[in-house]
Amino acid sequence: MRRALERAFARWARRRQGEDHLPVRLKMRRLYVLPTRAGLVFGALVLGMLIAALNYANSLALLLTCLLGGLALVAMYSAHRNLLELEVLSAGTTPAFAGERAEIALTLANDSRLARFSLELEAAAAAAGFVDLAPHSSARIRIAVPAPRRGVLRVERLRLSTSHPFGLFRAWTWVHLPLALIVYPRPHGARTLPTIEGQADGRTRARAAEEDEWLGLRPFRDGDSPRQVAWKAYARGSPLLVKEYAASAAPERIFDFERLPGLDTEARLEQLARWVVDAAARGERFALLLPGFALEAHEGAVQRERALAALALHGLAPSERRGVTRAR
Amino acid sequence: MRADPEMRSLGWSTGAFLGAVLLHAAHAPAWTLAVALICAAWALAARVRGLRLPPRQVKWALALALAIAVIATFHTLNGLAAGTVLLIVMGSVKLLEADTRRDRLTLICAALFLLVAACLREQSLAYAPLYAGEAWLACAALAVVAHPGSALGSVGAGRLAVRSLLLALPLALVGFLFFPRLSGSLWALPPASEATTGIGDTMTPGSISDLIESSAPAFRVWFEGKPPPLEERYWRGPVLDAFDGDTWSRPLPWWLFAPPHAAASASEPYRYRVTLEPTSRRWWFALDTLAASPDRAARLTSDHVLVGLRPLTAPVSFRALSYGRFVDPSPLPMYERHHDTHLPPGRNPRSVALARRLRAGAASDEQFVRTVLERFRTGGFRYSLTPPELDRDSVDDFLFGTRVGFCGHFASAFALLMRAGGVPARVVTGYLGGEWNRLGGYLIVRQSDAHAWVEVWLEGAGWIRVDPTIAAAPERLRHGVGDLMPNALSAPQRLLLDVRWLATLRDAWDAANAWWTTTVIDFNLPSQLALLEHLGFRAPQVGELGWALALGLILWLAAAAFQLGRIPRAAPREPLVRAYERLCRKLARAGFARRAHEGPLAYAESLARASPPLAAIAAPLLAGYARLRFGPVPASGRAERIAAFERAVARLKLTRRSRSARASRGT
Repeated sequence: MRRALERAFARWARRRQGEDHLPVRLKMRRLYVLPTRAGLVFGALVLGMLIAALNYANSLALLLTCLLGGLALVAMYSAHRNLLELEVLSAGTTPAFAGERAEIALTLANDSRLARFSLELEAAAAAAGFVDLAPHSSARIRIAVPAPRRGVLRVERLRLSTSHPFGLFRAWTWVHLPLALIVYPRPHGARTLPTIEGQADGRTRARAAEEDEWLGLRPFRDGDSPRQVAWKAYARGSPLLVKEYAASAAPERIFDFERLPGLDTEARLEQLARWVVDAAARGERFALLLPGFALEAHEGAVQRERALAALALHGLAPSERRGVTRAR
Repeated sequence: MRADPEMRSLGWSTGAFLGAVLLHAAHAPAWTLAVALICAAWALAARVRGLRLPPRQVKWALALALAIAVIATFHTLNGLAAGTVLLIVMGSVKLLEADTRRDRLTLICAALFLLVAACLREQSLAYAPLYAGEAWLACAALAVVAHPGSALGSVGAGRLAVRSLLLALPLALVGFLFFPRLSGSLWALPPASEATTGIGDTMTPGSISDLIESSAPAFRVWFEGKPPPLEERYWRGPVLDAFDGDTWSRPLPWWLFAPPHAAASASEPYRYRVTLEPTSRRWWFALDTLAASPDRAARLTSDHVLVGLRPLTAPVSFRALSYGRFVDPSPLPMYERHHDTHLPPGRNPRSVALARRLRAGAASDEQFVRTVLERFRTGGFRYSLTPPELDRDSVDDFLFGTRVGFCGHFASAFALLMRAGGVPARVVTGYLGGEWNRLGGYLIVRQSDAHAWVEVWLEGAGWIRVDPTIAAAPERLRHGVGDLMPNALSAPQRLLLDVRWLATLRDAWDAANAWWTTTVIDFNLPSQLALLEHLGFRAPQVGELGWALALGLILWLAAAAFQLGRIPRAAPREPLVRAYERLCRKLARAGFARRAHEGPLAYAESLARASPPLAAIAAPLLAGYARLRFGPVPASGRAERIAAFERAVARLKLTRRSRSARASRGT
């Protein structure tokens, strides 16, 4: 009953507010305030005191009761003020493997002279994250959302709230950002890594890098490893450049979806994820072949992320992929 | 380093609870306080030192045992005193398991209940700061318990509590002034606790001396017009008309319930207002003699005694009208005459014989009274608060033996002599005199002013006040007992009377108390309606109180909403940044707003792509800003260059772009 009411209220708020675009400034019309459970108990307490004070015709008790009643209103006012004019600057997500938790992090900025306390971020089924904000400061607030299934996890609604100062009233706002979290398949499967192709002498990539032939510098492209960036040149004032080596002769493994007979699609994806994780952990080059998708052989963290994202999104309809930004 | 949040939360909630318990230190049994302190120490030691807390079963057993102990002490769990003590011991047991947030909230709720219970029990001004302190403590504890891990900290929570309570104060005042008071009570109030102070229901000759040692105020009086002279400041309390040889009492014969006789007053009335301190008894005191009951909550019996319908558990104020003298020419009914001349047979034979002899030698009742008074005046009687013990026939022993006593002895002996002489007589107890408080302009009557005198019935004149004490010790009229009997007072009391500035201080403190009692404690429905009338309501009713209450609430909320609209923004920025923001605003009005992620140079680039003519104007300015703000600028010329930048921005005039141009940049 309570859940249903909450959901209906949230839907109404969504219709009323529309989708949010960063940065989001928390204005009065999108803040809601209601008493908490402790607040209701406190209210009952004040009511009991009021009856006793009136019955005994006791002025001092009545004054105290009115003071506590006033305090509850102050709590409501302060909770509202604690959120007002905050700004959500950015929202970042960290992908996760199925069965684990994906992280959402909001950057909150406080450009006022008020210190903000005990801000909480919640999403469906996620434990709340807390943060305090000093005057003129910003901070990240994180929550971990459970990611049960491979694919895209959509978080339609984040609740940013506070029950500061007395826990009697909770002020909150719903932030509707199109958050789409990528959930990688669970790395699982017993099959051994496919044999290394290309060079058969088994040299590891780490040694190869030292001996590779220097080709030159090229402009930075999205997805290049930070390790390959020519930072010294950048420090001298040139644009971001990447050191390129002749890597054609490097050994590589090919992870092919089609070469996993006897498994269903999900199991194959899990096996592939297992291999990608293992190969990346060893610093090996690998290529990934999925039906309708091919990832060239490469190595490093970016390659791992691309491969895992491809596995996560495999077979999803375009509508299901909506809003997903490929990993960096 | 910041304290452990759990420890802080436990510490504050325990502190709030203990503070509330200590408010009851004067009334609650000592063992309950010990229980609370031990439990608190145990709980804190468990957290700090890792001491083991008792297991669940032991806690239950402890709670049960303590509840039984409370029942054994009070024989009930009902009522304010027993309920308070039960709350103290149960809260103490709760201290031992205050592990969760909810447990600690429970403790704070218990503390608030104890605070209200303390208010119900004791409303004096001296306690008010303690109550305020406890309210603050509970409020800060609430903040800490709600968010123990917050960056607020203990000091911050304390400050927050002060600020919040100050914000709530206007609301509290509005509620206090305008919340309609009940005219009756919702449920029967529990019987008042045993009376502790004040004039009792009976009098033995020595009983008043206990009272005289107390300087606690009995009541205060504000006169409209001239106060009565000293010899008329008799404050009438219970009339005692039955005597068993030792004790005068008030058996309440039926005729007392009749309203007093309509009698002709022989003097101008005194108009005044009295505020009685609570005594847990039903006697109300007023200037001798009232003609009618001044208040609905009290009844005037036929012997002009004002009796409250309920015991005085809280201060009461009333306006009254008293006459210094009454003339009642009607005859005394037979039954009353019989009642008021009755003496226990066989007691005090010498006194009775003396009275009969004197009466036989007097021409009239009136002359008899005068003769006996003369005897008190000249008979070698001495006034003392520490008279020797008296025999079984106390009056005989006093009149013919010791001849040392105070008002109780004199009044008792005189009334007995009158009755033995056939003149109806009764003892009246009350107060005599009072002390003028110049700061407050009122008369304060203390318990030490307690007094007893006699009334005799003279045919054709009615009941006449006769004070044998004054006949024996005339100085009692002019001075308080303290001046008369310096040894009767304790050293601090004497100090208060003798040192002038201390006496002034005492007057000031009493005036503050009087103000507190009359304006705060005794603020009731009539006072509320009077206030409304003062505020301009015509013939206000209870309904108008609701309007006033709502109006106050709305005003507070409006002020709060106004305050929300002015959340203090960023500190005033430096001129350079202000000029840059102004430039950005101008460009935005021209249709090309800076995006949140763009710095000045990136902004210039995106302007160049979107609108080359505009960029031609704005780009040098943006580049100039970037240089001034981030580049190496020598400190000497910086101020002038900033001023030049400001002027350039101020001069900049841009025309508003068409909607289509704006849209094209959006893509």
